[in-house]
Parts: sequence; structure tokens; C-alpha cells
Amino acid sequence: MVSRWMYLSLVILYGFLLGPFIIIFMASFGANATMAFPPQGFTLDWFTNVFETSQFIDSFWISLQLALLSTIVSLIMGMPVAYALTRFQFAWAGMVETVFSAPILVPGLVIGFAMLNFFVLLGDMHVMTGLFIGHTAILFPYSVRVISASLRNLDPYVEDAAVSLGANRLRGFLLVVLPNMQAGIAAAFVLGFITSFNNVPVSLFLSGPGVTTLPVSMLSYLEYYFDPTIAALSTLLVIFTVLLVQTAERILGLSQFV
Amino acid sequence: MPHLEIHDLTVSYEKNKPTLERFSLEVEQGELLSLLGPSGCGKTTTLRSVAGFIQPDAGQIVINDRDYTHLPPNRRDIGLVFQSYALFPHLTVFYNVAFGLRMRRIPKDEIYSRVTNALEMVGLEAFADRRPAQLSGGQQQRVALARATVIEPQVLLLDEPLSNLDARLRVDMRQEIRRLQQQLGITTLYVTHDQVEAMSISDRVVVMNQGEIEQIGTPESIFAAPETVFVADFMGFDNRFKAEVASVQGSKLTVNWGGAPIELRWHSKFGSPRPGAGAEIFFRADNASLSAGSEASGLAGYVILHTFHGNELRYLVETDIGEFSIMQDSASQRFEPGTTVTVQPHTQKWIAIIEETEEYA
Repeated sequence: MVSRWMYLSLVILYGFLLGPFIIIFMASFGANATMAFPPQGFTLDWFTNVFETSQFIDSFWISLQLALLSTIVSLIMGMPVAYALTRFQFAWAGMVETVFSAPILVPGLVIGFAMLNFFVLLGDMHVMTGLFIGHTAILFPYSVRVISASLRNLDPYVEDAAVSLGANRLRGFLLVVLPNMQAGIAAAFVLGFITSFNNVPVSLFLSGPGVTTLPVSMLSYLEYYFDPTIAALSTLLVIFTVLLVQTAERILGLSQFV
Repeated sequence: MPHLEIHDLTVSYEKNKPTLERFSLEVEQGELLSLLGPSGCGKTTTLRSVAGFIQPDAGQIVINDRDYTHLPPNRRDIGLVFQSYALFPHLTVFYNVAFGLRMRRIPKDEIYSRVTNALEMVGLEAFADRRPAQLSGGQQQRVALARATVIEPQVLLLDEPLSNLDARLRVDMRQEIRRLQQQLGITTLYVTHDQVEAMSISDRVVVMNQGEIEQIGTPESIFAAPETVFVADFMGFDNRFKAEVASVQGSKLTVNWGGAPIELRWHSKFGSPRPGAGAEIFFRADNASLSAGSEASGLAGYVILHTFHGNELRYLVETDIGEFSIMQDSASQRFEPGTTVTVQPHTQKWIAIIEETEEYA
């Protein structure tokens, strides 16, 4: 009896989680001129339309560059912080951790609005620079957290062991610590990339004329049109994200860190 | 000439609160010396100073007549074994053991033969291609031993190497470490808080307390003749009571035991105590026996309870000067709780320790 109820609630849960995707997925192949469910007919026109809309193509490249760049920079900045937080005990460790978690805890809209005002104060800044700084800032705590988790799984004495066997501190780090951080770094990369690529609230404030990220341009497209182009694009994005995560999971066993 | 010398080592983590202060120790070539003491006594600090991970405020570390004090840890040629094994999780057993040899740029075929040989010594030649996570705790610690000894270090340092293992495995590993150490003839410093472990494995034992050496000697001498109250406590003397020194004759002193005088060995740091001084008397549970009834020539008491320990029964006996724990052969006469008994001392194994300075003649 218990298991029957469990199955039922699982089905309901999955229904709510996956239902919207299924509707979007099916609508993206529908021949109706506006979004409709159930869809009538079958066409790939909306997918063609995605690739013919320059607004989407341009913002896709911007989102991709932005996600790659801010993820990599946040990883490079996050690694030493994660290392320091897990390996050394210092007076302000708790405080540092709280400050670094702030971008996770503060609502994205607040961060975006605050950054917009701050950047305006700083004067003339290129839109892309602003987006890059904003995204790096929100990704940074994720990098620190995920890399810290992978470092906490590693016995701190392995470095001493390497040094006692003749490696200097740097070689000990490169030969013993870094290989064991690999999975954590990769996990942080995937998480950071997806977070940046999907971000709306911060990008919304920091986007400027001609420089817009994909989610923001999707939002503005929706304000004027209600045709299934957006559904087609969403389907493509879901497939892209799922493939990315699946590949990472298959290769690295991501889920132990996130 | 000793192989490892520590001279006047001073280490402080906090200002004006040194963990070690002018600490000196000498270890002979091929000797296994244990540093035994409770946590915080400075034994691990000593070990990490020898390894070079702690830079002392003052003092000197000399190995094989060469000053090591300012040598960085990666150039010290010291084998280190940790409580947590600290194996490299991403490398196979073979490459874990080969790590130190590769750092020394030893030719490949020599690395192969030395690693294989080291793995044979610890009985793990069949596990060369496994990862550490695929091994049991005991096997992991054997890999750690092979990794630390394959570089043929000047000194082997072991920091509580058995504390993460379960009780039965600990006894096996103890023997394995000792066998390997004697086979290689390697000078070894062994840190532990377990007195049984230190007794069974060492050539000599150093009992440490608050950064100071309380006593140094063979396991037998420390077991039989502790020189301080701390060592006697730590060595598991079950019974302790205070008594007044009646008289002193050379190496023996007399105290009163239930109305009759008994003669005991004594030890003090400051020379012969004067009559009337307070002494701490220590004896183990198996160094006294019980007889039925109240006798004139012994201390009378009554049995509170007894517990069964296989070949022995352990009695708790209440007397005028305190409660004593006394072991008897379980085949001998049994005394039920409430029975009046007399405690007969085996005084040749008892020891009197005098520590307070005003108690001396």
C-alpha cells in the first residue's frame, strides 16, 4: 500500500516537473500561428525561424562568450579562495564564507539593480564589460563552494606526504592536489556555465543597446510575438543543457559535488 | 654516536606558551623509539619538527652528524607515515610507492624493481594496480609503510599509524611494523598515546607530559619502575594511595599497611625523603592477594563487587584507606560481596613515589 502511494506521488511530481516541457516540446512542432496545445499539424518552420532571427543568433554568441569567460575567470579566482578556506584556519574564515555566499542569497534582481547603479556611478563602461563583471560575481560563490567540496574530500596530509617524499610545495600541489580537484573543477565549470547562460535578472539590468544575452532577448521577443518560435528555441536549449550535464555526469560523476 | 639528535628544541604556537621548551632527545642507529603521552603533550610537535614541517624557535636537529634544522622538508630524506594513511587517491598502489623514487629521478627499471621489492616486503605485490580506495585500512597503511621506506630514508617517522585500525588488526600491524623496521634496520621515531602499543613495539620509550620528558627507558623498566606519579598513572597502575614515610634505609623505605610495616622501592627526583614525608604508593591489581577474614598482618576490608575476566576475577575491595582493585585467579576461593577479607601486599612489585619538594631531608 505504501509503495502504491509512493508511486502515485512520484507520478504527480514528475507530471508537474516535466509536463510544461512536454507541452513546449510538442508546441514547437505545431503548425498553429500562435502557441497552442494540443498542436495541430506538424512543421519545422519554427526551428528554421529561430536560426533566421538574427536577434537570437547574435545574443546566443554573446551568451556563449559571456558564460565561458565569466565561468573560467570565476574558477581561477575561486580556486585559491577554496584552497585557503579548506586548508588554513584563520580568524575571519566564517566571515569570508558568508560574504562569498552573498550572491547566492541576495535576489538576482537586487544584484542586477545594484550593479547597474554602481556601474553608472563608475562612468562610461562597455556593456559587455559590465555583463562580464556581473556574471563573474554571481558565479564566484558557486566556484568556491563546489571546489571547496572537492578539496574537503581530500586528506590534507597528502600534501605533507608528497613533500616528505621529495616534492616541493608547488610540485606537491600540482602532482597530488590538482589531479584530485579535477572533478570538482569540472563540476564547478558546468554549474557556472549553466548558471550564467540561463541568467535573466542580472543580465536584464546590465544589457544594453545591441548587446543582449539569449534569455533576455527571448523575453523581449515574447513581449511582441506569441508564435511557437520561442517554444522551438526552448526545446533546443533544453536539449543543449541536458546534453551538457549528461556528458559531464557520465565522465566525471558530477552529482557527488552539487 | 646517536643517529638522530634533538638539542634544546623550543617550539611555540602561541607567544610565551611554548609547546616544547629546550627539549632534547637522542635516538641510536636502528633503534625504534616511541614518544608516548596524552594528546597535547608535544609528541606530534616533536615529530613534525624532525620532519621539517615545523620551524622551531630555537634548538637543533642533527641526523647522521649533519645539521637538519634549516633544511626544507622535501630535502630531508625522511619517511613519514600518517594516522590517516595520506595515500594519493588518484594513483595506483604502484605509483604511490614509486612517488618518492620518481621525485629523486631514479631510472625507470630501478624504480620498478625497488617498488616491487617494497610491495613484497609488506605482502601487497598482488595489489600493485589497485587504487587506495579499493584497499582495506590495514592494506592502505602497509602501502604507506612501503611508500615511506622504499626511499631508504635516514629516519622513519610514524605518527599514530595504528589509531584508525580496529583492535585486532592493530596487533597484527604492530608486529608487521616492528618486523619491517628490524629487517631494514631503520632508525624510527614512533608517536602514540597507547601505552600497550608503545611497550610492545619499542626498544625504548619516552613518556612525555606537557612538553617535558617524564621518563625514558626500556619498556620493561618503565613498566616495572615508573619514576613519577604521571608515568605510574599512565602505565596503568590500578591502585594508588597516600602514605606517610616511616623510615628510609637506602633503596627501601617503610610505610604502614594496616598496622604492619611494609618495605617498598621508592623513587624521587630530589634525593632521599625524610621520615614523615608524604608518598604516593602504586600497585597493579595482580600485585596483591586476598585472604578470608580479618588478619593482624595486613589491611582488612570488605568486598564490594567482583567482575569476571576469564582466568581472573577482579575484586573491588573497600578499606579504611580507600578502594582497591585486586585480581585473583578465578579458580581460587571466591569471595562474595560483603565478605570481610585481608589484602596481602606483594611488596616487591609496589613502588613509592615522592614528588613534593618540601618532603626531602
